[in-house]
Amino acid sequence: MALDYAKCAKEIFQLVGGRDNLVSAAHCATRLRLVTADNGKIDMKKLEDVEGVKGVFSSNGQLQLIIGTGTVNKVYDEFLKVSGMSAATKEEVKAAAAAQQPLVKRMVKALGDVFVPILPAIVASGLMMGIVEALGKAMPAFSGTDWYAFLDMIANTAFAFLPVIVAVSAARVFGGNIFLGGVIGLMMIHSALLNAWNAGSPDAINSFFGIDTGVIPTWNLFGNIHIGNYVLGSIPRVGYQGHVIPVIISVWLMCQIEKWLHKHVPEVIDLFVTPLTTVFVTACFTFMIIGPIFSTAETYILTFAKALVANPFGALVMGALYPCTVVMGLHHMYNVIEAGMLSSVGLNTWMPIASAANFAQFGACLAVGIKTHKAKTRTIAVPSSMSAALGITEPAIFGVNFRYMKPFACGMVGGACGAVFGAISKIGATAYGVTGIPGYLTINNACLYTILLLISGGVAFALTWIIWKEEADEDDAAAGAAGKDSKKDDTLAVTAAENEILAPLTGKAVALSELPDETFASGVLGQGMGIEPTIGEVRAPFDATIATVAETKHAIGFSGPKDMELLIHVGIDTVKMNGDGFNVLVSEGDEVKAGQKLMTFDIQKIKAAGHPTVTAVLLNNSDDYDNFKADKTGQVKAGEVVMTI
Amino acid sequence: MKSFDYVITDEVGIHARPAGLLVKEAKKYASKITIKKGEKGAEATKLMALMGLGVKKDDTVTVEVAGDDEDQAVEAIQAFFQQNF
Repeated sequence: MALDYAKCAKEIFQLVGGRDNLVSAAHCATRLRLVTADNGKIDMKKLEDVEGVKGVFSSNGQLQLIIGTGTVNKVYDEFLKVSGMSAATKEEVKAAAAAQQPLVKRMVKALGDVFVPILPAIVASGLMMGIVEALGKAMPAFSGTDWYAFLDMIANTAFAFLPVIVAVSAARVFGGNIFLGGVIGLMMIHSALLNAWNAGSPDAINSFFGIDTGVIPTWNLFGNIHIGNYVLGSIPRVGYQGHVIPVIISVWLMCQIEKWLHKHVPEVIDLFVTPLTTVFVTACFTFMIIGPIFSTAETYILTFAKALVANPFGALVMGALYPCTVVMGLHHMYNVIEAGMLSSVGLNTWMPIASAANFAQFGACLAVGIKTHKAKTRTIAVPSSMSAALGITEPAIFGVNFRYMKPFACGMVGGACGAVFGAISKIGATAYGVTGIPGYLTINNACLYTILLLISGGVAFALTWIIWKEEADEDDAAAGAAGKDSKKDDTLAVTAAENEILAPLTGKAVALSELPDETFASGVLGQGMGIEPTIGEVRAPFDATIATVAETKHAIGFSGPKDMELLIHVGIDTVKMNGDGFNVLVSEGDEVKAGQKLMTFDIQKIKAAGHPTVTAVLLNNSDDYDNFKADKTGQVKAGEVVMTI
Repeated sequence: MKSFDYVITDEVGIHARPAGLLVKEAKKYASKITIKKGEKGAEATKLMALMGLGVKKDDTVTVEVAGDDEDQAVEAIQAFFQQNF
């Protein structure tokens, strides 16, 4: 009998708690994907019993109901009718799911989402800028040529106008109009404002504004109303070159305003009212609130930094904090410190600290690039690290290290180590503007500088290598959960060589002979091992075809490479549970990838039913292989190699 | 070639454990042993294929044995079915 789509949809609708509990709905090839306000309200068991629903599970904040190809879209249509919702794209469902993640995680993710698309632009510029500046320092004659000026212009374009690129990307991420975002970005580096890189130089200020005070003039929109030290509506006439965070905050705000207005402004005047109001309000907020906050922070940090670097302990702290100031976009202020040092003592001892910090980010980024299993991460991390080695760290920090957090922190430690060495060995530079490898051109002791780079880069690399572990889920919200196809969902980022069998479960591995079941222990079903699961998930042990799924859902058989026939049997005697507590996500004949989630089961339920949970992983035709090995015992994690043939 | 039909009486049918035993038994003989259920067939030495047949209680299967030792094999397999299925 054909499935009654309307009835199925209606039952699902009621069981998920009605419209009040629904955030959005979408479907893919086989699944209905719902985001609910409160997953806890849902009776999963009853949902599974709805006719037409083959399985239910919750992943990445989404509730996924397996319905099946060709059917799911019909149920979905009915579902929209019953619920009165509008069709959501998978992206929207994803975004709604992301909204249920913690704030900090969302912020870091947003930063990554903004930066990843623009990486090609800044990696290219970063590398070129590093090379051009190095050449300029190496050959002073070259730095006077037209070629140098021309190349320098090409190289630093992306950085000089970074706020614009960031703004456009951010507008796209936050769902606003990208051209309005562009306007906000352009406004923040408008030519009527002093270039932020020159903000520390009184001469530049004087010549730019045609004054002689050496102080950046302000616009006073509301006269002289003081709130503490803050003058209301007072805008320093300085741009946001090199800034990232203020730009993103402004554009985020812009998008919120724009979206709100689109909803509330009558359509007839929408095109006229909405963009105008959006830009005006955002601009006021940016220059009157964000601007002053950041410039105050800059002043304090500058004073703080100057005081810090006077002794080795301070250098240590600064070496660690330096990349944080890059994230905040405050590092362009350091030219002031460097220029000050050169004019007072003739030696720039700031540069070794900055170099240590930057080179440490290079080390951390390189470690990620080498260690990652994802080609996509590698193609970003390796060139970004090269750019960082040349002293341009933004691609490495924003594109890689900061997104994963741990590499960034490892870089901070590496930077601190290098910086303290620099301070103790008292090396310094005779100019300013370059760090990392180009720093050799200005440093007064190349040998000690080499040690400094090795310490900072090496420590950061080693720490990252040890501490950072690629989490399958890091990009999952972006790649995995979005899933082009249900089969790609929830797959660990692992691969199995042709002779490898990966642990299908996380738990404690035991020898086959210890299984409390004679058939398994005796090896009748082939050699293998037992795993006492700590997580109720079964994942594919290699790229395989599902040969059989037990009717009672507690066992899955695989045909794998080299004719391997493998059986995973969850628990002992669990056939008696008749499928209760088991949820198989695949069916016979499905092609699965190593690490793909295939089954979820309820460990507590198995225990409650009085069965051992230890799961047999058996290579049924182990006799066919001369070199079969299954001697792994103790803690194992799903996805690690546990047996070989 | 020898063959016989058999009606499964075991509650769980050709399930992992008995299937494993069957594979072990079948491997003792040089003859090719095939279990057929309707259109589908499986070699008795291939556990996955056997389980893939989805043989349940009251299903009728046809067992075919072909090879040099088919006389002994068919006898042993028939006995095995009676004991285990």
